[in-house]
Amino acid sequence: MQPTDSFNENHTPSGENVLVVRDLIKIYKGATVPALSGLNFTVPAGEIFGLLGPNGAGKTTAISILSTLLRPTRGSVSICGIDALKHPGRVKGVIGLVPQNIALYAGLTARENLRYFGKVCGLKGKILDDRVQACLELAGLENRADQRITAYSGGMKRRANLAVGMLNNPRLLFLDEPTVGIDAQSRNMILEKLALLKNNGTTLIYTTHYMDEAEQLCERIAIMDEGHIVAEGTPGALINRPPGYAGLGDLFLALTGKDLRD
Amino acid sequence: MYKTAATVSKELLLLSRDRAGLLVLFAMPALLVIVMTLVQENVLQTMGESSTRILFVDRDRQEVGRSVKEKLMESGAMEIITAIEGKDVDETTALERVRRGDFQLGVIIPAGTTAAVKTRAREVVRGSLAMDQTPAAGGGRQCDITVYFDPTVFGGFRSAVLGSLELVILGIEMKEKMNVLSDLLPEHIAGNLRKAMGSLPPESFTGDIPGIRLDFSRDRLLRVAERPASQSYLEKKPTSVQQNVPAWALFGIFFIALPMAGALIKERHDETLARLLTLPVSFLSVMVGKIIAYVLVCLAQFGLILFIGKYILPLLGTPMLEMGSDPAAVMIITISAILAATGLGILLGTTARTYEQASMVGPISIVIAAALGGIMVPVYAMPKVMRNISVYSPLEWGHDAFLDVFVRGGDIRTVSGNVSALLSFFLVSVLISWICFFLRSRNGI
Repeated sequence: MQPTDSFNENHTPSGENVLVVRDLIKIYKGATVPALSGLNFTVPAGEIFGLLGPNGAGKTTAISILSTLLRPTRGSVSICGIDALKHPGRVKGVIGLVPQNIALYAGLTARENLRYFGKVCGLKGKILDDRVQACLELAGLENRADQRITAYSGGMKRRANLAVGMLNNPRLLFLDEPTVGIDAQSRNMILEKLALLKNNGTTLIYTTHYMDEAEQLCERIAIMDEGHIVAEGTPGALINRPPGYAGLGDLFLALTGKDLRD
Repeated sequence: MYKTAATVSKELLLLSRDRAGLLVLFAMPALLVIVMTLVQENVLQTMGESSTRILFVDRDRQEVGRSVKEKLMESGAMEIITAIEGKDVDETTALERVRRGDFQLGVIIPAGTTAAVKTRAREVVRGSLAMDQTPAAGGGRQCDITVYFDPTVFGGFRSAVLGSLELVILGIEMKEKMNVLSDLLPEHIAGNLRKAMGSLPPESFTGDIPGIRLDFSRDRLLRVAERPASQSYLEKKPTSVQQNVPAWALFGIFFIALPMAGALIKERHDETLARLLTLPVSFLSVMVGKIIAYVLVCLAQFGLILFIGKYILPLLGTPMLEMGSDPAAVMIITISAILAATGLGILLGTTARTYEQASMVGPISIVIAAALGGIMVPVYAMPKVMRNISVYSPLEWGHDAFLDVFVRGGDIRTVSGNVSALLSFFLVSVLISWICFFLRSRNGI
């Protein structure tokens, strides 16, 4: 069976905006500086949108708000036409999250993890079995599916983490640095699978510190600093901004500076 | 329900694979119940040294009643309570409060005791002076001082208290008899002399001095009548098994808080919780699933401890665990105690920032609550200040409820107060946890 066969295509009409973020502000209690200070962007269906930025730029805060985990101080978020701040419960049916950490039960096998999260999503019977199998195959874990997560390598854990994020066939998938700390082979495989998801119509919001990865995968990129977007566009357009940059990394340092961020 | 069931099965699977956790949950309480029961078997029989509170009902309100009270107070080992909340205690109240375990014993001095003692003392002494060999058996009756015991009080403690009371009444009896003797003896001697000598001068008397039967001290004026306060007259003798099995079972149950808190903290740190919160499932459903899983594990653990009390400990020479006559009450207490323990686990797991914090605070707080709750030493044997604090320990609520059913012959109605306290503890813990979680989630999990 081809892994992609079990994944339904996401039928958001091409060009329709899946994610609309307007004037998003987040000020943490006791903080003097806002974590987000007027974030604005729009992502159409089927796009891979990269969110880049140095540590503390507000990427994780943005992902947390967009995935309903955190309430903003002000602003609006619309996901697939649903007001995500007013109806977080309805939004949960169309989003997926691949957290930065390995958000899996280490004492369970990959299959048991997938079955549990699948059941929590409301999947049952054959649909659950098929979806679990498809996700395992997509992550290249079908032969090690019955090993516990503790026995997995770093790359396998990352792939299993991704597999759970894809389980409920989300229309909008948030990926928070999904390739951090793994070898080139696993990273390459994950990027291939993400491209495959995109081809099936899934919209991806992708944060990473790897500029080459963003350049290779993302159709549009927003570079964030100090809680707002300082540059946005396709990787090519961004690199070619006057005076012209050697690459995305070069542009990134030019926009966000070389000072260390803690 | 389907999603909750998925969480229950996932939690059980995780717990079944956590060998260290299983060791804490099953082997530790099992070992504790065996070791502590055997160790305390003799200790509990011989203790009874600390001050204890006695409900004292003086219906006599005369010399003997006052004297018993004063002498018990003078002993220093007993605190005499004659009024509760400003009202004098009557016999019915005393019996009820002792039956409920609020006090370990109640002493009732019947009305007319002083008059009866005086009458009987006079008869006994007269009998002795008359050299009558039969015990005095006139109209004066021997008076019973009734002592009601909480059936959970251990034998050694009971004997110590009864011994003290016996000494007190012996002193009173002796004083009364000597008073009567000092009244009657001069008259008795003078009468006998007159009878023997007629008009002769006393110096010419060569016969025997009129005798006194010296064993009059054996003719008792008062008697201590020991009666159980339990509803079922068929009194069960408290044993270390009755004390320790429910005690250490509860201790084990409360240790469920540690793996539960650990699981919650881990879910928070590795973002599994974040992932769950973005899925189409209610947080309540996830938490209910988690609680049900831990309740099932604790029920299995409790069953193991009862099995040890019923079948293993007797093989090692202890009495068999008696579980009372109301299994429904036992089940309700057990589930309430387990819920209280899961409440503590949720509270720890939510408020502790790291697993290290929870693993430090958790066991210490459970051991302290256990010590205060009478798990290691019965509450009545503690100093007064500790007894006052012990009423705030959830383990004391659970333990007292188990003793109500196992030893005092109580039922669901009897344990309703303690069960309500345990369930309230669960609800308050969950509420505090929810508030902490809500406040924390506003600033990111």
